[in-house]
Amino acid sequence: MATSAAIRPSMGALGSRISSSISSAPAPRPLRAAAAAAAAINTQQQTAALSTTAALLKRHKYPGARDNRDNSKHRGESAIRRTGTRWRLSMSDEPLPRPVPKSELPAIETDPDHGLWAFFADRKTVAAAPEEDAKHGRSWSVEELRGKSWDDLHRLWWVCVKERNRIATANWERNKSGLGFGESEAKGRDNEVRATMRSIKHVLTERFYAWEDAVKLAETDPEVNLSGDGPAFTPSEYYEGEEVAGEQEQQVLEAVEETVEKAATPDPATIPSSKQSEAPRL
Amino acid sequence: MCVSSRLISSPLEYRPNHVVAFIRPKPKQPPNLATFAVPLQFNKLDLRDYLYHAYDVEVTSVRSFINQPAVRQKFGHVGKWYRPRSQKMMIAELVKPFVWPSPPAEEDREKFDHSLFKKMEAEREKHFRRQMDPANIPLRNQVRQSREREGLKAQAEEFLKSGGWTNGQNEGDKWNEVEEELKV
Repeated sequence: MATSAAIRPSMGALGSRISSSISSAPAPRPLRAAAAAAAAINTQQQTAALSTTAALLKRHKYPGARDNRDNSKHRGESAIRRTGTRWRLSMSDEPLPRPVPKSELPAIETDPDHGLWAFFADRKTVAAAPEEDAKHGRSWSVEELRGKSWDDLHRLWWVCVKERNRIATANWERNKSGLGFGESEAKGRDNEVRATMRSIKHVLTERFYAWEDAVKLAETDPEVNLSGDGPAFTPSEYYEGEEVAGEQEQQVLEAVEETVEKAATPDPATIPSSKQSEAPRL
Repeated sequence: MCVSSRLISSPLEYRPNHVVAFIRPKPKQPPNLATFAVPLQFNKLDLRDYLYHAYDVEVTSVRSFINQPAVRQKFGHVGKWYRPRSQKMMIAELVKPFVWPSPPAEEDREKFDHSLFKKMEAEREKHFRRQMDPANIPLRNQVRQSREREGLKAQAEEFLKSGGWTNGQNEGDKWNEVEEELKV
């Protein structure tokens, strides 16, 4: 009974094979030859030594059909017949690597020039002690920064940004690790940095307004050429010949006045008020 | 593995006013991950460019999430309920690993006046607990007595132990024995 039950699926496959070959074959062949051919195919296909299931037994054959997985995991296994396991195990005889505990691993060393050190006020405690934090000067004033170049101001801005990041990192660490006091000292330091940043913005805004005013003036100035063709500035005689005698000076002055009148008087709305225009010229 | 310069293309703002804090990693966080607390408007590309241009730190990828705090009352346990502003966090995968220094021991925290800080913290906590539950009145022996009272108690115990104490009132002729046989 057992053998018949085991053979039954392969018999089915044989039958289907025969029927398909019969139906697909153009000319009818003798049954014995067809059966022999099917048997030959079957022996070729059957690669697993212990499997008694026919490999060609497939119920659904349309494209995208579901896999006819054998749900009976232990089909064909028998303790009485000493068949062994059916499936080949997916592992080899090679010795597997053993996990090493974290404590035995070599310590990862941080690069002493790592960029992230710049977030720390102190490389050991992260946050600087309040005594150290309180050792700071005053902020840069607007008057001092007026004389600085664009590049200097830009660099100073970034120094301030990094200092604020350092303070924020220290604050976070002090709170989370419960280091102790130092919040008010850090706040005092932060306020000075922010005052410096405010001054930088103040100075740059002043310069921007001065530039805007200069452009407006240049539009009405006959000496300045804003079109982009030729020299931008062609000084008139008046500015060059300062050592000219009194009579000539008078003549030149009159000439300049005439030219200015000719060049159409500027719209009063475009001229900035005296306060605005004076402030940036400091 | 190196980040190609092609990836880092967007130029930095001229004067960014952001504050970025570098956060201590969790105990099991590997050293190639660095956590940052960033402004809410930051995105992953912003952090990558910020670290590259300002700190010269190369990053392979960035993860981000937002911590939303629980609702709280304005003055501790009284006042209007509100939700504090959320905090955006970003975790950058670093090209070069960075190991944080271990937090300083209790003895090394004296520069931060740690012992006083701890005492004050405990006291504040106790005070807060009492305010939260005013019906829970501490028992007499749980409240610390004043120094005068404690001194008085010690003195009394000493007198009781040594004996021979009088109050100076029942001496001499001030004390009259009641006559035993009193018949009315």
